[in-house]
Amino acid sequence: MLLLMPLKHVKLQRNVVRRWQKNPIIRLGDLPFHAADIHNAGAVLHKGRYILLITIENLQGYCSIYRAHSDDGRHFEIEKEPVLSPAEEGPFAQYETEGVRDARITLFDGVYYIVYLAQSEHGFRLALAQTEDFASIERVALISEPDTKNAALFPRKIGGRYARLERPREGGNIWISYSEDLLNWGDWDVVMTPRGGYWDHDRIGLSVPPILTPCGWLIFYYGVKNTPGGPLFRLGVAFLNEEDPVEVVGRSNIPLLAPSETYERIGDVQNLVFSCGAVTNTKTGKVELYYGASDSCICLGTVSFDTLERICRASTLQED
Amino acid sequence: MVSLLEQDLLERYEGNPLITAADIPFTCNTVFNGGATKLNGQYTILLRVEGQHGYSVFALARSSDGYDFEIERLPVMTPATEGPMEKYEVAGIEDPRITVVDGTTYIVYTAFSGYGPCMALATTEDFSSFERHGLISEPGNKDGLLFPRKVGGRYVRFDRPIGNDIGRIWVTFSDDLRYWGDSRVVISPRPGYWDSYRVGASCVPIETESGWLAIYHGVKMTSGGPIYRAGVVLLDLQDPSVVIARSSVPILAPRMEYERVGDVCNVVFPSAAIVEDDGQVRVYYGAADTAICVATTTMEKLLALVHKDGEPAPAPGSRRPSYPVD
Repeated sequence: MLLLMPLKHVKLQRNVVRRWQKNPIIRLGDLPFHAADIHNAGAVLHKGRYILLITIENLQGYCSIYRAHSDDGRHFEIEKEPVLSPAEEGPFAQYETEGVRDARITLFDGVYYIVYLAQSEHGFRLALAQTEDFASIERVALISEPDTKNAALFPRKIGGRYARLERPREGGNIWISYSEDLLNWGDWDVVMTPRGGYWDHDRIGLSVPPILTPCGWLIFYYGVKNTPGGPLFRLGVAFLNEEDPVEVVGRSNIPLLAPSETYERIGDVQNLVFSCGAVTNTKTGKVELYYGASDSCICLGTVSFDTLERICRASTLQED
Repeated sequence: MVSLLEQDLLERYEGNPLITAADIPFTCNTVFNGGATKLNGQYTILLRVEGQHGYSVFALARSSDGYDFEIERLPVMTPATEGPMEKYEVAGIEDPRITVVDGTTYIVYTAFSGYGPCMALATTEDFSSFERHGLISEPGNKDGLLFPRKVGGRYVRFDRPIGNDIGRIWVTFSDDLRYWGDSRVVISPRPGYWDSYRVGASCVPIETESGWLAIYHGVKMTSGGPIYRAGVVLLDLQDPSVVIARSSVPILAPRMEYERVGDVCNVVFPSAAIVEDDGQVRVYYGAADTAICVATTTMEKLLALVHKDGEPAPAPGSRRPSYPVD
């Protein structure tokens, strides 16, 4: 399934994703208000402008989602007021009492669908919202029971149905499910599981919403290995079959990005890189990956599609 | 002196336990948590039988009086060995609950595997062959059952996901039994009560003029392990996510030796309630994960208890402490 690339130049190396030299691009001090933490960001290129939906934890300790925008994807202006904060009334309210977070954006037929986490004493649930211009975000529905996280919609239907990836807490695996109306979901199936002994040994979850490539659906995912000092969060990549995403056609056996810089090693949650969004730069042919580091800042890294394909290809061959 | 047994609203059948491993015609470890139904005067229990290898299958027990059961020689439903459900049932199939909706017999059961417990749906016409309809929940979910009729044009189910480490009863809706949504929390544990640690749906809710009467199980954690008891709750007929009343006391608690002692001690776990024409209610329950028992009461008594003793539902969004779960 993967495009065959010459393998002789493939080297499994550290830090496949290249960090932007001026990382982090958004720090706590850059915010126009006081906050406890910056977690991560969904990302999209809308009408030539970069938009980030950033999860920010306020001083009280709960998260809201803030909008930031930029012309060059490097220098962002962050708005003072959240674009999505916990609902105070209506059916969402009792499920968002402890925050809303982790927006993942999918463009589908001209509408941006945002899957975010509703957090409350009842646990983590998936919620769906939509917007056409990011000026305001409209809630659609709560679309899961607890506890599940790390979800995004595919940008088009698969076999005539909407599809999503998610990571139920039980088992720490990435699952797929389907819907005809975006409100009711079914036909759950496992897509990817942690790999014993690997960097993604203990649990995995979707990072960036699926991107369609000639090799299938490209997904960035995070993998966790638990150590005596706590979890290590790293970033990996996989390709899923375009028609049947349950079939994993390639998966990197190395992480593409692992905490090593000071801002990734040290923060409120140490040793963490965690992405919720990326933008495809058609001029450079690269994926621009926005990732949170140590729950304390937002960073940028880039990687080419070619490299991602080659790594999956080489990884798969090594496994064979 | 008041007998301890009289504290329980449910009256145990003197011939309990009805069914134990000794009654199962094939070699097994235990039998417990059977879904039951009464069709055309015949009582049918789909028994959860745990084999000696450790995973569970379903066997069939039939009776004309609801007390003396004949058990079929071989299991009637075993974990799938092919098809899409195979990988989700490798650790067994558990805790079936039977509901007849519009003439079709549905079984909601737990499909168990390394991926975690999931709710699964099957149908049957004769309890000898079963058609699987796949997973109907994410993993980490148990104690699912269907309501006996559609509400507001939609099928309704109860289930018990774990959110924020706490097992609560949720209600979820579907137009077609395949795609599910509009999930809401219904019943949560109550700090300090007999159901302080975890709750789960037990019996298919019974429709009454006052609302849906549902028997559920509640768990209290002690230093010696959990205690599983049964309680009763009344839900709004039009909106089963609304609790009208909830009994403050259990209707059944482990007291007899067959409830106190077994593979899991101190468990009574109702899994079906059958309403007789005269208003008698027969509650079939698993005891100590080792036997099937029955206890009876009347609709009148259940409704009187839930009304008299009924506690209003906890306020939505009210904070309750987390309890350690492992």
